[in-house]
Order: sequence, then structure tokens, then C-alpha cells
Amino acid sequence: MSESNQVTEPPSGKPSVSRRDFLNEITLGALGVAGLGGAALTYQYFSPNVLFEPATTFRAGNPDLYPVNSVTFLQDQQVYIVRTTTGFYAVSAVCTHLGCITQWKPEANTIACPCHGSKFQPNGRKIEGPAPRPLPHYAINLTADGELQVDKLQTTKADEVLRV
Amino acid sequence: MATSFHTTLENLRSTRVWRSIFRRGPAITNRTRSLAIFGNLFLHWLPVKVREKSLRVRAAYYLGSLSLLLFLILVVTGVLLMFYYHPAAPEAYHDMKDLRFVVSNGVFLRNMHRVGAHLMVLLVFWHMFHVFYRGGYKPPHEFNWVVGVILLLLTLFLSYTGYLLPWDQLAFWAVTVGTNIISAMPFIGNKIRFVVLGGHIVGENALLRFYVLHVVILPLLAFLFIGVHFWRVQKDGGLTLGSKEHDGKN
Amino acid sequence: MTEKTKIETGFSSDAKKEPRRIVFITRKTSAKVKDERERKVMTYPHVLVREAIVFEILTIVMVFIALFWNAPLEQLANPQLTPNPAKAPWYFLGLQELLHFFPPFVAGILIPTLVIIALLVIPYFHVNVEGKALCSERASKRFGMVISVVVVLLILLVVVDAWTIMVPTVSVAVLLVASYLSKGTTGWLGVLRTKPLSWWVMTWFISTAVYLTVVGTFFRGPGWSWVWPWGTHAG
Repeated sequence: MSESNQVTEPPSGKPSVSRRDFLNEITLGALGVAGLGGAALTYQYFSPNVLFEPATTFRAGNPDLYPVNSVTFLQDQQVYIVRTTTGFYAVSAVCTHLGCITQWKPEANTIACPCHGSKFQPNGRKIEGPAPRPLPHYAINLTADGELQVDKLQTTKADEVLRV
Repeated sequence: MATSFHTTLENLRSTRVWRSIFRRGPAITNRTRSLAIFGNLFLHWLPVKVREKSLRVRAAYYLGSLSLLLFLILVVTGVLLMFYYHPAAPEAYHDMKDLRFVVSNGVFLRNMHRVGAHLMVLLVFWHMFHVFYRGGYKPPHEFNWVVGVILLLLTLFLSYTGYLLPWDQLAFWAVTVGTNIISAMPFIGNKIRFVVLGGHIVGENALLRFYVLHVVILPLLAFLFIGVHFWRVQKDGGLTLGSKEHDGKN
Repeated sequence: MTEKTKIETGFSSDAKKEPRRIVFITRKTSAKVKDERERKVMTYPHVLVREAIVFEILTIVMVFIALFWNAPLEQLANPQLTPNPAKAPWYFLGLQELLHFFPPFVAGILIPTLVIIALLVIPYFHVNVEGKALCSERASKRFGMVISVVVVLLILLVVVDAWTIMVPTVSVAVLLVASYLSKGTTGWLGVLRTKPLSWWVMTWFISTAVYLTVVGTFFRGPGWSWVWPWGTHAG
């Protein structure tokens, strides 16, 4: 075993790393991996897996409750049920700008947001204001016993209509 | 009467017990006055001597000192408020009503905390602008300025997390709008919002998280950075030091 | 050195027994007294007493306000009912005013991040240590650059129709132009002439922030529409 402190060059001529530097780098690498792992675990810890929030699928009652060409605001679900001559669609009442709850103005036939003045048509398309996107449509269908059901986790295209 | 009080005090101060607690003796010589600062856990972040110029009000309007003192007042009033507050919805709101109508001096305490919070934000901004206009950020004080900006952000976050705690309409919607801004961040916005709120909506999880942030995490961080901030001032030579004089260095 | 004995170092020297004060005289200089430092006083008692006084004044002022002003408390939080208007705390109202004109990413994330980065970078970015005035060397060229930046900013604001931001920008720009055009060195215009660019930028920033906050607090009503604070309905 050589007892000199020199770094011996391998025959190929490539510079080699001293044992001390190698161990230092390995240790730092291990600490880095441990740190990343710790950060990932912490992020997981802070992301709840069970949420006690209101159900996202709800029943909206019999279709006959809604007159033709009407917009009905369901306040506890934050959804507008819109019935046109062709059928039903469900529009989110949450403004796409910053999450305030919009209000239905029948005299102006618009959905208006009180926070920053965005205005939408009943089909969700934006008329004016700082909102970046139109109001999304939620999937709406009929249950087996003939009631309307809305699923807020599913969005549909704006021209889809539930024919009843 | 005064002399007997005085002699009683002297006798008290000469007891063994007293002298075992306060070991340096009365602070009447330069040496004992130095020890009063240098040898004291709570005061040693101050320099032992200061420039006479820095004592004047117009030097810095005592803005930094006011910020620290306000922080202490807020901590004390905040801790007192904690005894009557449950960070749960809707108990939090009912606790606010209790503080107002049922708890002795509850109104006063809450008002002090609120006034202190507003004043704190104002004073910290004022302090920053004043340091800027006086050039207190120039080398070698650059990092202390950075620490100051961090403290400003901590103050704003403290104020914002505290804003939610009353759980009234004002609080709820201010936080709803604020956290929706977070989701405007590209790619990671929604994920960050989910972790901050502990869910999709501003609900019980959000209240509890904001409470822990407001009461534990952010004050601890603020305390640490305040320590660094004051230590830096002391080590860089104290207040009202022009950027050209570096106390012998360079 | 005029001492007769040679000074020897090594293990046998004992500085405690025979302390010697050694003066090194280099070249032809002589030891002179350095400029007297500024007068210093002991922290105890001078600083502590003043801090105590400041604390007491602060407490008294706060107690007075706390006795006569009640912190607000509105109705219980109702996730289904947004109050109109829904306003942020006052220190964020300037930001909310910006949100009215720019998309949420720009006003809510981009601009605050840029502001914070700008603040952090102040001490590191080519520090103008001497505080040279904007109106000093190469004045017309630098002045021209600043004014063109201001004009571009104003055009951008007009495009977005953000006239509330235009007001403080225009005011500060007017002050800047006035101080540049006035050749005098007396009065407040003269004082303004001595200010460096960093002063102007910070002053613009502060005046815009204050102005937007005041507008957001007093002049914005339902739907974030413009109201006059003394009026009873939206303007």
C-alpha cells in the first residue's frame, strides 16, 4: 500500500479525484437526496387526502320546475340552471376572474360579478370585464327517476345541451 | 420616608440572593454600564456605545425601534387573544363576538391588536422608504437591506394570515380573492393553492393552516430575521454611519 | 527607537514583565492623531431611556385609538354570498386596483414579483454611491432615455385604459421635466435637480402605490365602479 500523499495518475492520463473530495461529494449528494426526499414528504403531508367539503354532484329536482327560457340560481351549489327552448345546461356561478360569486340580473339578461365588474351572457360567454375565460359549463344529465343531476367535477363544451 | 425606602432598597440589593441574580452591581460606572448591555441576554444585540447623532429623532425617526416595539406589543396582545379563540369554523366567529361582548376588556384587546397590525404595516413601509432615501442600503449594508425586505414580506404575510382569523365576510372573501390570485401562477399555481388552503375551498383546513402560520411559523421566522437585522446593524458599526466610513476597515 | 537594549524575541521574552510600547515609524511620516471619531455615548442609559419613552408614547397613542375605534366585524363568513364590493385589506388595495386593469397573472403575480425583485436588487445594481444627480453629466442623453421610457409606459397605460395609474406617473414626470428645464439651483425645483435617478424611480413607485391605495379605499364601490366618496350612489 502506498503511503505517499500524492494523487497517482492512472495510466490513461485522466485526472482523478482524491478520496477526501470523493467522500465529500458523496456525502453532499446523499444529504441533497435526503433533503429532496424530506421536501417531497413534507409536500405530501401538507396535501390532504380526505376533504370534508360539500359534495360536488347534486340533484337539481324535476325538469318541470324550470320554466322555458329561464335562468335559476342555485345559491348553495353556486350553479345556474339555464333552460332554453332546446334543453338544459348548467353554468358555474363562480367568476373566472378571482372566484367571487356572480349574480343573475334578469332585467339586463346578464350574469354580473360584484368584485371587478365582469359581465357574462347566460351561456357563460364574457361580455366585458377582467375575467379571462367564459364561465364553465358543468355536466348535467337525468337520473333514472327523471331528476336533473349536475356533476361539478365534469365540465362540458359550451354548446352541449341536455334535451328533455 | 424617601430615605427609608432608599435604605430598604439598598439593603435588598446587598443581599446574597440579589447579588447572585444581578451580578454586575449598579450600572454607574462605564464598566458596569458596558456590562449592562454586553453581558445581558436581552440587550446584547444593542451596541455598548452609540453615536450621539443617532439619538436624535430626525436621524431615523425611531422607525426601526417602533417596528420592533410594535412587534412585541402584537405578540403580547396576540397571545392574550389566543386564550379565547378556537381556530375552527364557525367557532372562530362566535369567539370574536365573545371577545366583543362577553370577555372583560376583550374589545380593547382586539382593537389594540388590530391597530397594531395596521400601524406595523405602515411603519415597516415607512422605515424601508426612509432607509432608501438615506442610502442605508449601500455597501457594506446590502444584505441587511435584503433581510429588511424579507421582514417586510413576513409582515405582510402575518397581516394577511391574521386577516382570515375572524372568519367574517370581510375575512373570507379577502382571502378567497387572494388565494385565487395564487392559482393564476402558471403550472404550479393550482397545486400551491391546494397546499396553502388544505383543499379546494377556503374552509376549515384553510383557517387552521392560516392560524398556525400566523401564530407560530411566521412569528418565529420574524423573530429570527429581526435578530439578524439588528445584529447586522450593530456589527456594521451602528446607526447613522455614512457609507464612506467603515470604522477602520477599508 | 532610542532604547539601548536590543529587543529580543523568542521563548525567553516576557512581555508582562517588561512591556514595551513600540512605535513603527515608516519613511518620513510622523505619528499623528487620527481624526477624532464622532462623539459616542453609552447605550445605558441614553438609548434605553429614549427607547422607553418611544415605547410609552406608542402605547399611549395606540390605547387612545383602541379606546375610540372598533375593529370591524361583519357577518359570519358565507361562501355563497359575495359582498359587493369585496375589498382586500388596505395594503393590498393598490394591488386590487391593478387587478381591475390587468389580467390576474400580470397584476397578481408578475408585478408584485417584479417589485420584490426590484427591491431586493437595489443595493446590488450598479450603486450610484455618490448619489449623482440625474441632471449632471451627459444630462440631455440620460434625460432623453428616461423620458422615452416614461412615454412608452404612458402609451401602454393608455392602451389598457389604466388612467388611475397614469395620474401619478404623469405628475412625477411633470416634476422631473420641470426640474430639468429650470436652470436654477434654489428653491424646491433646485433641490429636485440634485436628485439621482434612483430617487425618481422610488418616488414614482411610492406615489403610484399611495395613489392606487387611496383610490381603492375611497373611490371604488360596487362592481369596482368609480364612486365619489361623498356621494351616495355609484358615479
